[in-house]
Amino acid sequence: MELVFWLNGSEARAEEVPGHWSLLELLRDRFGLLGTKQGCGVGECGACSVLLEGQVVNSCLTPAWRAHGRRVTTIEGLAAGGRPHPLQEAFVAAGAVQCGFCTPGMIMAASDLLAHNPDPDQEQVAGALAGNLCRCTGYHDVVRAVRKAARQMVEDGS
Amino acid sequence: MSQVALPQDLDQALAALAAPGARAVAGGTDLMIALARARREGDELPATLVELSRVAELERLEPQGRPPLVGAGVTFRRLAQDPELRRRYPILSQAAATVGSVQVRSTATIGGNVANASPAADGVSALVALEARAVVAGPAGIRRPLVSELITGPYTTSLEPGELITGFELDELEPATGQVFAKVGRRRAVAVSRLNLAVVLDAELADPRLVLGSCFPTPRRLGRAEELLTGGDPGPGLWQAAGRAAAAAFAEASGGRASAVYKVPAIKRVAARALADAWQAVGERS
Repeated sequence: MELVFWLNGSEARAEEVPGHWSLLELLRDRFGLLGTKQGCGVGECGACSVLLEGQVVNSCLTPAWRAHGRRVTTIEGLAAGGRPHPLQEAFVAAGAVQCGFCTPGMIMAASDLLAHNPDPDQEQVAGALAGNLCRCTGYHDVVRAVRKAARQMVEDGS
Repeated sequence: MSQVALPQDLDQALAALAAPGARAVAGGTDLMIALARARREGDELPATLVELSRVAELERLEPQGRPPLVGAGVTFRRLAQDPELRRRYPILSQAAATVGSVQVRSTATIGGNVANASPAADGVSALVALEARAVVAGPAGIRRPLVSELITGPYTTSLEPGELITGFELDELEPATGQVFAKVGRRRAVAVSRLNLAVVLDAELADPRLVLGSCFPTPRRLGRAEELLTGGDPGPGLWQAAGRAAAAAFAEASGGRASAVYKVPAIKRVAARALADAWQAVGERS
């Protein structure tokens, strides 16, 4: 059976995907989408976060076959119209990145939050990112970047 | 290497699970970790993984139903957010909201939480306090054991090969009950419970329920504390006495376990506070 799903807006197909594979393996090892990181492998660090049907999940804990017939969005799929996503721009502008390993996961978790809550307060941002660990910078600038992106998105009407 | 089965309904799921070496996959947040470990260590993998996320029968969420029903495939994210569940069974939505991260709550299911039977499972403590029955479908038909009986020990249940939990039937409670779920972990979010407490109080204190999790092989109702509460005189004195009884029940069962040093005082205080909060909720809902 062939695994068929919607990957960043386009149809994607993969042959002979083992039943025990994770979505993370499918994305990295079959499709070469290396923006999604493997960190802890047990669902604590959030570096592997992607959207499945618009909800943020740990792709390391999600079976690859769960994606069959469904929509998956990775960090590579956020930019639109030749422009980075407002979250990506805000992370750069706010200096919310140091080594960058956790950043794609942070941004995917934040994009789920902003899709459901366009104007989160500091506490709500912290709650939404509780499953994403950063070992470089601390979280202050990350929270600032998410709130900045939220304001930008309301302004853009996106 | 595991094969995969993608059943579209319950009959197909049960047929797939009847095959030798078949293993049900609910959310997968516990199972995927176990599979990764098995792969690293060269252990045998299940012959077939039965992916349950397309089985509509498992997705039902009917807190207003008779009996009230929660499908086994409902995620913690849905449990935490469903307005009707929050109104009728706040204890279950509170417990769900404390599980893992948004990522884990978007994936993990209440059925998987029960079938995995971790002693620290937050969802299980809430279900035990609600005297929930698991609806278990299998080759021999359907049975409805209490969740407290289905789980027989740490990570063990009475589920037979080929059996599947399809949902949970909740106790129909009086409208004016106070329900509180409380939890102590290493951090406020994304923490495995070091202890959790589920409390249900009614206005007459006729049927008080106090469940302690993460402290015994399985989440357990505290009989002596419940007896003390039954027909008691509501107030700080009663809540503190019940808290002491709860801590004593743990101290007795745990023997000299190292964690008792902090768990005994923590249980005493968290239980007294949860009971006070539940009683306040009784007042607000009646």
